[in-house]
Amino acid sequence: MSNLGIKNIQTKISYVLAALCTILMIINLYLIFWVAPLDVVLGHIQKIFYIHVPIAAMSFLAFFLVFVFSIIYLVKRSEHWDRLAYAAGEVGVVFVSVTLLTGVVWAKPVWGVWWTWEPRLTTTLILWLIYIAYIMVRSYAPNRSQGSLYAAAIGIIGFIDVPIVYYSVQWWRSIHPSAVVGPFAESGALEPIMAQILLVSLVAFTLLFVLLFNQRISVKKQEDLLAKTLEFENK
Amino acid sequence: MIEHDDIKSDVRNPKTSKATFFRLGIIGFVLVVGIAYMVYAAFPGNTLYFLTVSEFMEKEEYQDGRVLRVSGKLLDGSFHRPKGSTSANFALIDSLNNADPGLEARYVGVMPDLFFNPHSEIILQGSYGMDEVFEAETVLVKCPSKYQSMEEEYSEDYMYDEEKSTKS
Repeated sequence: MSNLGIKNIQTKISYVLAALCTILMIINLYLIFWVAPLDVVLGHIQKIFYIHVPIAAMSFLAFFLVFVFSIIYLVKRSEHWDRLAYAAGEVGVVFVSVTLLTGVVWAKPVWGVWWTWEPRLTTTLILWLIYIAYIMVRSYAPNRSQGSLYAAAIGIIGFIDVPIVYYSVQWWRSIHPSAVVGPFAESGALEPIMAQILLVSLVAFTLLFVLLFNQRISVKKQEDLLAKTLEFENK
Repeated sequence: MIEHDDIKSDVRNPKTSKATFFRLGIIGFVLVVGIAYMVYAAFPGNTLYFLTVSEFMEKEEYQDGRVLRVSGKLLDGSFHRPKGSTSANFALIDSLNNADPGLEARYVGVMPDLFFNPHSEIILQGSYGMDEVFEAETVLVKCPSKYQSMEEEYSEDYMYDEEKSTKS
């Protein structure tokens, strides 16, 4: 009975989260398309920036969570932590996919090509492949716990690529713009109003990430429960 | 013999899994090093995505017809496209203050929108031809990592087009 109560609270929290996220996203879109000034060189195209950058940041957050939860899983060997790592990994793949797609549509009108094999793009594509492997490897293992173990190994080792992607524009010559916010940004690289809208967008996408992450955990829990029930019935 | 699958004890044999993890770690490490090497080998001029104009002009080995990328600024007034032609000639220089004649280049096709913008850096992908003209297969435009709002007084200054940069 108490279990049911907890579930009720969880459902309520996810509804509130979804509502908040929707409202903030609408405000965010309004700010991006109506309030944000046009960039002097790039014009309208630059608006992709407010979506591309926060989503990329969220994919880094997701893979950091995979890294942390994978370590905890290896120490504790409990399905709970594996589920958290898996959910973060899957949402992370969605976010890095969107990063690549928004990057591609931004590159074509500005650089003149959809894709070029430069450091930031290449390392990001490798990042995408690593976490696709992270999801797929579970299906190749003979049993669940072994699959979780393989995945944890990829989740920990694969995280190496995240700082490489981040520093790639710092370390190597590239066509990709370097950071306009954060420790490596040149002062005045981003106008205050643009920085403020970026911040709102970052909060909105963080909320979206939390919402998706939370939902994925619940669904995964149900999937695991179903798999166990079926396994039990087959025996 | 049905083992009760407690949530906490889903690992059947911790000893083998530790060994597997160790082996997997080694495989993963080898993969990472392998990928790093491939990335290193894939870039022209070893690790560089592009060479600057002066780097390209200094070393003769770069001019043997190999495919690589060269980056520079468009030399003001160097752009020339004969009427009705799809082939355009222009020159790249290291920076706008550089007095060097720069690198003569040719490209057949439509220029990217921001090619004539004074803030843009041009990256050409192609090879040096026999006639000492860089034959570009692809033209890329790099923009500054700086975003500024458009203001009225600036806007005209930035409305660069082909005619303005063309030799009369």
